[in-house]
This record gives sequence, structure tokens and C-alpha cells, in this order.
Amino acid sequence: MPAIFTVDPRSGVPLYLQLIEQVKRAVALGTLEPGEQLPTVKALALDLTINPNTVARVYRELERDGVIETSPGRGSFVRAGSAGGSARRAVEDLARGALDDAVREAKSLGLERDAVSGLFEDALARWFPAEDHR
Amino acid sequence: MNATTIAIDKLTKRYGAHEVVSNVTLAVEEGSICGLLGPNGAGKSTTFKCLLGLARPTSGSVAVGGAPLAPESFEWLAYVPEKSALYERFTVGQHLEIQRRSRRRYDAARAAELLALFKLDAAKKAGKLSKGQRTALMLVLALSFRPSVLVLDEPSSGLDPIYQRVVLDLIIEAAAGGATVLFSSHQIGQVERAADRVAILKNGRLVLDREVDALKSSEKVVEAIFDGAVPEANGLAGDARIRRLERSGRILRAYVSAESEDVARRIQALGPRSLTVLDLNLEEIFLNAVGAENAPLPGGQ
Repeated sequence: MPAIFTVDPRSGVPLYLQLIEQVKRAVALGTLEPGEQLPTVKALALDLTINPNTVARVYRELERDGVIETSPGRGSFVRAGSAGGSARRAVEDLARGALDDAVREAKSLGLERDAVSGLFEDALARWFPAEDHR
Repeated sequence: MNATTIAIDKLTKRYGAHEVVSNVTLAVEEGSICGLLGPNGAGKSTTFKCLLGLARPTSGSVAVGGAPLAPESFEWLAYVPEKSALYERFTVGQHLEIQRRSRRRYDAARAAELLALFKLDAAKKAGKLSKGQRTALMLVLALSFRPSVLVLDEPSSGLDPIYQRVVLDLIIEAAAGGATVLFSSHQIGQVERAADRVAILKNGRLVLDREVDALKSSEKVVEAIFDGAVPEANGLAGDARIRRLERSGRILRAYVSAESEDVARRIQALGPRSLTVLDLNLEEIFLNAVGAENAPLPGGQ
């Protein structure tokens, strides 16, 4: 199986958080479909060359969050309906964080609220062209 | 909770007047991979020797698999020393034969697989092997009997990046199968990938011992840029969560070991123009831990 996730062990972001985010993003985007089987803990740890306990923790937390379900002896699967639930929220959290960073950066560069708002409108216009606008 | 498989308790080792290991306590749980980091001479190899019964602790104790070391322990305990110990005039194959005769759990198929993995020639004499090949042979011997506890002192010394990755894969595979691993390395990136726990020695003392992810969650740098001079803010110096404060020009940096968001709020109250919380990778955390004299322990030990 080609690697569906990528993590950066040299980053200061804890690996388990990186991997949880990756799985939720894949579910929200449909790269991982409901009912699809995830690799075993051992296979994913070896595939990414990371610690197996870290992968096991990721699966536990994803199960707790309702993104995957694990049945003993069969493996872990993406839960039906999870794309609309916590995986969708996770993607919104990511987007919110990215926007937050951008606004904070603009503010720290000395821009006033109106100037930031103007730049934001420009960006919206570029990424969501007029015909999408209601 | 998992059982503690490797337990080092208040270990001290002196050679004459020189204290090489000072009051080190370290526990590694079953199935865990613990990476031991430290500058040269920090006491890593001596700690391993005491753990393996190759050096007698001046005080303190060690236990592996829940009991003090016994001859039977070596049926499931593998050790790869920093300096390879091989019979120079024996071939690679003869080394494996010795292992076959002395290890009840020796697995010939596994040994053959490992030889192929490292492209080692069974007919070659140990004395003719390169440094990296010697390390590889030590690893093959250690893994040939599927040990449940692995103690590896610099397991990839002399190996090129490709084989270093092979070694990591072997460590990860062993742990995924339930084995417990304690390994030392100068390559922080290896520990960052493979280990769930990291311990750092400096001058014989344990200056840090934590889960890698927990460490990354709590160790942060709060960076504030002010319009004018950085305010004095004397209260910050006494904040136990701040390891170190750096002031340079209009920039204030606080190296934080816990509750970075709360510390960030405190610094925000000083009215900076901008404030950023930066993540630290293991290398930066390591350098902070071994660089700064008397740096406080994260996790409040």
C-alpha cells in the first residue's frame, strides 16, 4: 500500500498529533472512505518508521473520537458517517488555526483591523471567484 | 498499565574518585522504546554496563524483566556494546554457529534473513569486516534469537544512512512484536523517530526523562517583539515554568517547560507588538537540556 500519511518526526509538533490530524484530514477529504481498513499498528509504524506505541495511541484516540472502529482480530476501520462528524470538525479546526495565524501575523506587522479585513476580502475574491458568490 | 521491564534504581558508579554515573533512576516499560541521549562521557555506556552486569554498581540497583540479572536472563536479553566484541579470526558464519549452540531461542531462518538484510558474507572473517559491517554483525547476532529485551549502545555506529534506517526498522519491528528496547544514540533524529521515551544524561546525571510527545507538547519558546525596549518584568524570572529568559534588542524569548499558553498570556500582558509560541524539536530540547548549566528539569522531577 502506498503511504497515505506523512509525518515529520523532526518537527516540534508531537508525532501523535500530526498523525491524528492526517487521518482526520484523509477521512474528511474522502481519501479514506467509510468502511475502509487502516493498516495494522505494526504495519503503519514500519511504513512511517515511527514508534509503534505512538501509532497505537493514535488509533485509541481516533476510536475515542468516533473516527475509526476497531474490532478485535479484524482490524481498524473508518467508521461510517465519521466524515460528517469529528473529522469534519478537525478540518475546520485546521482551517481556523491557519486563518488565526495569518491574522495574528498581519497584526504583528502593524496592520490595523480595516487593512487586514481588506486583504482578507482580496484573498476571498481570488480563491472564491465571483460566480460562486451568493 | 504495562509492566516495567528495565528498572535502574538510584544507580551510582564511581571509578576511584571519579563518579561516572550519579544517582540515575530510569524505568522502561514493556513494549516501549527508550532512547538515551547525552554528550560523550555523560555515562551512557557505563549505565549500560551496570545494567548488563559488566560493571558493578557502586550503589543502587538494576533489574531486567522484573528481577535482578541472572545467567538465564541472557536467554531473552540481547546487548550490543558500543565497541563490537567479535572473534577476529572466526567467520561471520562461525559467529552464528556459536550463537546457535549457546542460545536456546536461536532462530536460523531469522539469522539468515538478517544476514541478507545487511548483505553480510557468512564466509568472511570478522577481522576483515568494516566498522559498519562489524556493527551489523553484532546486531544480527543480537536479533538472531528474537530477544524480548534489547539494550543497544550506539547500534548504528559506522553504518551509512540507508543501513541506519534498517536498524531503526529492526528496533521498531521488535517493539511492535512486544520487545522492550533501550538504545543510546548520538543521532537525535533516530530517537525522535523510533523512541516513545527519551532520557538525557549529562555529567552522569539524568537531566530529563519523558515521553517524546509529552516533551514536545510542553517545551515551547514564547517569543515577544516590543515596539520599544523589552520591559523589565522581574516577575517572569521567578516563574518556575520558564527555564530561561533571553533578551536581545526588542525581542524577549522565554524557554518554557510547561503551560506555555498561560506563560504566553503573562507575556502578552506586557504589551508586545507581536507574540508567537514556537515549537521545539528534540534536538533543540536536547541542546537546551545539556547546554544550560543547572537547567531545571521539565516535568518537575
